[in-house]
Amino acid sequence: MHLTSRADSSLSLVSSSQGTNFTEAMALRSISRRFGSRVLSYRSSSVASLHSHATSFGFQQVKEEEKSKLVGNVFTNVASSYDIMNDVMSGGLHRLWKERLVGKLSPFAGMKHLDVAGGTGDVAFRIFDAVNSVKRRALRKVDEASLEETQIYVCDINPNMLNVGKQRAAERGLGDNKSLVWVEGDAEALSFDDNSMDGYTIAFGIRNVTHIEKALAEAYRVLKRGGRFLCLELSHVDIPVFKDVYDLYSFKVIPNLGELIAGDRESYQYLVESVRRFPPQEKFATMIADAGFEKVEYENLVGGVVAIHSAIKL
Amino acid sequence: MYRTAARRLLGAGFTTSRLLRLPKPRPTTTIIPYSYCTSSMESPIGNQSVNPNQSDPTAAREEGHRRDESRKPRAEFQEEQARVLAASLRHVPRLGWTEEAMIAGSREVGVSPSIVGSFSRKEAALVEYFMDECLQLLIDRVDSGLDLQNLIPSERVSKLVRIRLEMQIPYMSKWPQALSIQAHPVNVPTSFKQRAMLVDEIWHTVGDGASDLDWYVKRTVLGGVYSATEIYMLTDDSPEYRDTWAFLDDRVKDAFDLKKSIQEAKYFAQDIGAGVGKSFQGLMNGVMQTMSTRGGRSSAF
Repeated sequence: MHLTSRADSSLSLVSSSQGTNFTEAMALRSISRRFGSRVLSYRSSSVASLHSHATSFGFQQVKEEEKSKLVGNVFTNVASSYDIMNDVMSGGLHRLWKERLVGKLSPFAGMKHLDVAGGTGDVAFRIFDAVNSVKRRALRKVDEASLEETQIYVCDINPNMLNVGKQRAAERGLGDNKSLVWVEGDAEALSFDDNSMDGYTIAFGIRNVTHIEKALAEAYRVLKRGGRFLCLELSHVDIPVFKDVYDLYSFKVIPNLGELIAGDRESYQYLVESVRRFPPQEKFATMIADAGFEKVEYENLVGGVVAIHSAIKL
Repeated sequence: MYRTAARRLLGAGFTTSRLLRLPKPRPTTTIIPYSYCTSSMESPIGNQSVNPNQSDPTAAREEGHRRDESRKPRAEFQEEQARVLAASLRHVPRLGWTEEAMIAGSREVGVSPSIVGSFSRKEAALVEYFMDECLQLLIDRVDSGLDLQNLIPSERVSKLVRIRLEMQIPYMSKWPQALSIQAHPVNVPTSFKQRAMLVDEIWHTVGDGASDLDWYVKRTVLGGVYSATEIYMLTDDSPEYRDTWAFLDDRVKDAFDLKKSIQEAKYFAQDIGAGVGKSFQGLMNGVMQTMSTRGGRSSAF
């Protein structure tokens, strides 16, 4: 009941105070939202189902069609300082997490891979390196022909992020490499054929997608039989004391870092909030299974700060 | 903390995903109904007799359901893995026990080579699959009437070990690699278990019902013979591995001699134990007696 009612009850509260102590504001906002929803529920349920559904933008409730725009703004704002912020926020750990992701994928020569929401190419370059590493080629007698066939599609909804990636590719001397293909596109409506990909990765991206189910269904659609879905995402910590430390770090330190380094507090406030709104590991695993995937597994890293979900299409 | 308290208060209702799961009035793509239907996969097909003129979402769901039923039965991951691995074995003589062989195998059965990444412990999966297959093959051979009746137990053992080791001949040039994979600390528990199963199977088939020796000793001894022969085989270039089989026969004989010597040693130990025990008992009795007499004496004073 209150699910549908959140739509418009919260809209009136979106603009509630951001000032003073934000945790108090947060609590106030959510409590009043809860209260408001109860009061308004009988009135609004019919209205909400007629109009678009509400979705979350951080802790705020926004209309579905607004979310993508708002997320777009966030990433347009932070594109230039995205990677340095990742380094600062995670203490460089995000590199290890991405290595782990690619390690789990175990890329191979001749693979068709799709990296969604990977605008800056962080994951794509790692996959490229894994396929092309000299050591691997020497050890495994990979024939050059299949190496040529390797294609890594980097898909991002935000052209600014893609530009950063292309620039970095040029810096690495991969500017006109045929293996890397940069595509602007929506995770919910991919422009690739059915059964065309060997692998699908999405690192720190699925959280920002408006309909996670749609993105999962699209991932399922483009993958070949035997193709793998891997998702690296900031997730939920359940270890008692560490959880409090992590919350403190997220809400007190990260927005300040964002202001200091990227000059954008709001975007990083959104980041930490959106992490809290993302479904917990088990729930997300169920969603992946519901999309039709088999062998759904997840691995928590750093006590659940990030989780890697993996699944296979059969 | 206010916030955490508030979140606890809000509980599960705080997530939007349930909202998204509400049936949508218009199915935008054909994939959407599919994402709905898989969750109800387990439910029996009984509810298929629905009125086709129902409202959109349910009808779409049913359609998805039926489409799924019409497909061939959902291949379990394990079966798929077995198919890929079976095909990969054909590439082992050329490519070794490697990911490359598994990639080639998966291409052969028409599955994306990506699947290899989801096998636990990669190459070990292939070796372990081979070990399991060979054991199964051995059991099948025995069940289909392998003539063991007119052989003495030691000959039965060496015959079974030989049959098993002969299965490895096509892979002999790459077998050292397989051994090194099995010896990797991560893989040791499984490879150890597989060897134990093999050895148990052999003892079982030999039908050595005598309970004169501990089962674990038997297992260890035959395990040793098996492994020694396996290693010997790696460098054996005699025609048809003749030297290996001679080596095997000798080791099995040794083992059965050892069995005899262990038995003798056991009896000997028992005798000694009895002897020592008796003298120890005698000693203790003596001590106790002296103690009690002394005690008696002291109490008399």
